[in-house]
Amino acid sequence: MIDMIIIDGLSFALPLFIMAVGGIYSEKSGITNLALEGFQGFGAFTGSVAVVYLTGIFGSTSNVPYYAGFIFAVIGGGLFALIHALLCIKFKADQVISGVVMNILAMAMTSFMTKSINASFFGNSANKFMLGASARITVPYLSDIPLAGAIFRDIYPFEILIVLLAVIMWYVLYKTKFGMRLRACGDNPHSVDAAGVNVYAVRTMAVFISGCLSGIAGMSFAYSISANFSPDIYLGYGYLSIAALIFGNWSILPSLAACLIFGFARSGGSAVINELGLPSSYNDLVRILPYVLTMLLLVFFSRHNHSPRALGHIYDKGQR
Amino acid sequence: MSEPIVEFRHITKKFPGIIANDDVSLTINKGEIFAVLGENGAGKSTLVSMLFGTYEPDGGEILIRGKKERIYSPRYASSLSIGMVHQHFRLVSNFSVAENIILGLEPERKLFGFIPYVDIEKANHDIAELSERYGLKINPEDVIENLNVASCQRVEILKMLYREAEILIFDEPTAVLTPQEIESFLDIVRSLRENGKTIILITHKLAEIKAAADRCAILNRGKLITVLDVESTSADEMARLMVGHDISFRTEKKPAVFGDVILDVQNMSVKSRTGLDAVKDVSFQIHAGEVFAVAGVSGNGQNELADSIAGLCPCSSGKITINGHDITRASVRERIEAGIAYIPEDRHNVGLVLDFTLRDNLPLRQYYTPKFSHKGVISRSSFVEYNRTLEKEYDIRSSQGGATIMRSMSGGNQQKAIIAREIDMQTPLIMFMQPTRGLDIGAVMNVRKQIIAERNRGAAVLLISLDLDEIIDCADTIAVIFNGRINKISPAEKISVDEIGLYMMGVKTA
Amino acid sequence: MKKFTLSCLAIIISLIAGALILWLMGKDPVAAYMNLLQGSGLMQKVKYAGRQNMFTDFMSFIDAMTPMIFASLSVAIALRGGFFNIGVSGQMMIAGFTAHMLSLVVPSRILVIVVGVIAGALVGALIGWMRYRFNVNEVVSSIMLNSTIMYLVTFCINTFYVNPVSRQSKSIIESARLTISGFRWENLKLDIALAFPLAIITAMFLQWLIERTTYGYEMKAVGLSPKAAYYAGMKVNRISLITMTISGALAGLAGVSYFCGYYASIQPGTTPSMGFDAIAVSLLGGNNPIGCIFASFLITIISKGSVYMSSRQNIEPEIASLITAFILTFAACSAFLSRKGRK
Repeated sequence: MIDMIIIDGLSFALPLFIMAVGGIYSEKSGITNLALEGFQGFGAFTGSVAVVYLTGIFGSTSNVPYYAGFIFAVIGGGLFALIHALLCIKFKADQVISGVVMNILAMAMTSFMTKSINASFFGNSANKFMLGASARITVPYLSDIPLAGAIFRDIYPFEILIVLLAVIMWYVLYKTKFGMRLRACGDNPHSVDAAGVNVYAVRTMAVFISGCLSGIAGMSFAYSISANFSPDIYLGYGYLSIAALIFGNWSILPSLAACLIFGFARSGGSAVINELGLPSSYNDLVRILPYVLTMLLLVFFSRHNHSPRALGHIYDKGQR
Repeated sequence: MSEPIVEFRHITKKFPGIIANDDVSLTINKGEIFAVLGENGAGKSTLVSMLFGTYEPDGGEILIRGKKERIYSPRYASSLSIGMVHQHFRLVSNFSVAENIILGLEPERKLFGFIPYVDIEKANHDIAELSERYGLKINPEDVIENLNVASCQRVEILKMLYREAEILIFDEPTAVLTPQEIESFLDIVRSLRENGKTIILITHKLAEIKAAADRCAILNRGKLITVLDVESTSADEMARLMVGHDISFRTEKKPAVFGDVILDVQNMSVKSRTGLDAVKDVSFQIHAGEVFAVAGVSGNGQNELADSIAGLCPCSSGKITINGHDITRASVRERIEAGIAYIPEDRHNVGLVLDFTLRDNLPLRQYYTPKFSHKGVISRSSFVEYNRTLEKEYDIRSSQGGATIMRSMSGGNQQKAIIAREIDMQTPLIMFMQPTRGLDIGAVMNVRKQIIAERNRGAAVLLISLDLDEIIDCADTIAVIFNGRINKISPAEKISVDEIGLYMMGVKTA
Repeated sequence: MKKFTLSCLAIIISLIAGALILWLMGKDPVAAYMNLLQGSGLMQKVKYAGRQNMFTDFMSFIDAMTPMIFASLSVAIALRGGFFNIGVSGQMMIAGFTAHMLSLVVPSRILVIVVGVIAGALVGALIGWMRYRFNVNEVVSSIMLNSTIMYLVTFCINTFYVNPVSRQSKSIIESARLTISGFRWENLKLDIALAFPLAIITAMFLQWLIERTTYGYEMKAVGLSPKAAYYAGMKVNRISLITMTISGALAGLAGVSYFCGYYASIQPGTTPSMGFDAIAVSLLGGNNPIGCIFASFLITIISKGSVYMSSRQNIEPEIASLITAFILTFAACSAFLSRKGRK
């Protein structure tokens, strides 16, 4: 049972985590990002379209569609994120409103297009793309370690991808000049401008990255939890990852901790329901856990948090 | 000897409604300290902004090292080795000194020969060296939010030096410094000149110009009045040229007649938002008919002091009474009713609801009284009437009268509206927090007259200002705050400017 | 007035964008848009089923529009008071569900309304309280509550209140339902939205509250600048709490008029999209109560009429939410245009 909790918990927590990292990029650059939910959904949509299309070409045994799906999810999520960047940076829309608007737009566009594509290319009227669940890998030897071995058992390939990416994203944010400029934008954009760096470009890039990373998360959810793409992908996981990054005080490692708590709360709850032999409708009760937990955590931690100083402020070059 | 490095030729710059610079021509030589003197609004900032590429001139041309240049951006200006320290520092508060300085010009190295990273060690080393060379005494690893204003200014200077700037522009560099800090700032400027840099100093303080500058251009209403040699001109002469006519720098003031104690603060301590002690065990009294002025460097507890008397933040211990009533635990509204008027420092976020109209802002602290509403229903006509009265009485100017959105009004008129609102309540205590910041000289004089008028009416006045001139000009009693403690309280005539400076720095304590 | 122009602009651009999509799919946009009006009972259809005509369509249009007015008022009031209430969906759902439960015991329309208001208000108050007491961003807490409520209600419905045929909750008893369905008049069968007059009166009352009362003045001041409001001696926390309570109560009204009126039952497993559409409506109406009535009218034409349009033109009914999303996107930008215009 413990094994299942760890395996399922990780496969839920890691996509959440990479999305939170995306959120950190955006918010550290000074753009409030409530649009993660929409980004992951849109990314999952483009990825799924690619998978369904490529499966038709390469056949269902090939690995190509699987990886291509992730690449297209990254592209789709990133491109969609550019709309948020456009609204927030160019049109100076309220960033909170823009974020929520993006989520609604993503949901409307993807459900409409899913149905249209199914109707015109595959001749059915379904509102989903079937993907099937991802294959799983078990790392030899490491998985034999008692208890902790479960971390290396039955892992989805995307989990490895996410861990690698997270390390790279951490390095970029804290060690490179791009990351340094990005973090400066979130504190005092005027200083960045005065240093001859284009604030708008840095922020646009940051939002783009958040879209790319969310796309990976969305695709991971589509491949693991639901095994298909449908509008059910919008279950509020994007908001959950925002809660994680707030709780993680806009830092990468603490946010990982928050995501793990959510993941294990969820998988632990399910395991308990299973163990007690309750009907599956009781799973709905368990699904409440991460949300309630988030609220409680926020209640206890929001006070002590310091968001980036320029977060949510519209930056206008002419103003001082 | 003098080799021209910057030449302005017939520069004209217009903004909607005003001509900021009108046919200005002047030449600045390499290796001199050149001051640009003028009142607020005389066009001096605009003139140098064109040199730094913030604006482009509408007419005329700029020559750098004898070559005609179109300076279209600050970035291009810095490629011409022109650097500028703005009045508001452009520093990233949670970055170290070194990170701030290298921002945009980061030295890089490669991990395993191909993964780039910012070489912060090299930066720290280079900056320590640079700081050493110019005697700036800055540790590159300090974080900006822990530094005081004078140090931040030095970081800005280092930023220019790191970029190998040859022409250094300072916009009102001494506005927020103590007399002692000003001294050492001027030393730094002189040492920069020794090293062959050209320095342009924008200021309206004559004493500094006399102390450091070689030559000085005087602007008035966008026009260049003259360029003079500082050594051979008297300060009075410069002042006369600056304002265009003789004025007395002092606000007229009858001798003070103190009445009863109005405000009595006993052993008050206040915690800041971050939980540190911002005000520590402060006691003082203000009498009717007294201007009690608090001098101090920014961030020494002034905000918390004023806010906690007004009720905006709680005091952690001590006692506040007004006219004998204990208001230590009273709410903001109870304090307004007990007789505290307050002109806060942050007029945009605190003093006004910027997106309200002028008409809706004027009764902001009285809207619930019978004068403006009845049983929770607002009387629009009383709002209109009140607006008309105050507009006339206090000369508040706006484009659409009472319906003007506050945000669209000029800073001077916004401040007039706040002062009108607070003075009109005719309270026994009135607090002015940095009342003239960012206003032009005419408006400044006007505000100071109002402060004196309030005192003459018999109100107790608490004036908190970073501007020593203002304090000397208005105060009957001067208190100096340093690190949350009031180190000195003295009748205004019994303390010298230098002495105030020493208390402000905490060098001297009572 | 400027706001009005901008709202119109957002609508026009969105309709053009929608038309473009329809045209690309090989449909006739004009006919499609006419179908929207026909579906809403604002234009004569080609033919009608028995006991139906344009008037009966219009009455069901009003029935669909009633919860939308309440929902948009909920968003508008919160926004004026400085809150972004995207928890309307959840508040609607909990209000609808508790009212359903209560109607099992006491079938009374008045009680349904009262319970809905209370349930919504409590959730609204909780969000407001968490923000000022613990500094929890209301957007995040609203979303968390949405999901929590959704799963909770879903669980309850699926375990003991499900209609096994429709897979939805059981329908509310007719004597407690806020819509009289199939009312015989002349030879017609009408749906009468009993809460509609209440919606109009509520909007007018709120307009008066905002513009003419000291509470309205305080609410706006807190919404625009909490620091200035505090400086003015207002009890910022209390005012915020009241604002969110009112907003929640309005969402509760939306919930009962939707789940205990128009729709009569609750679909488990999903939150009502009306809670989000209401944001578009409120922005479109300039966050002004009277404006909300007109904006609700417009958006309801799109959502209600889309059923008829999709059947006539053979396109996905999702096009309706797509056009609504477009309107929302452009409305978000227009906030910028109006700000720019003011400078």
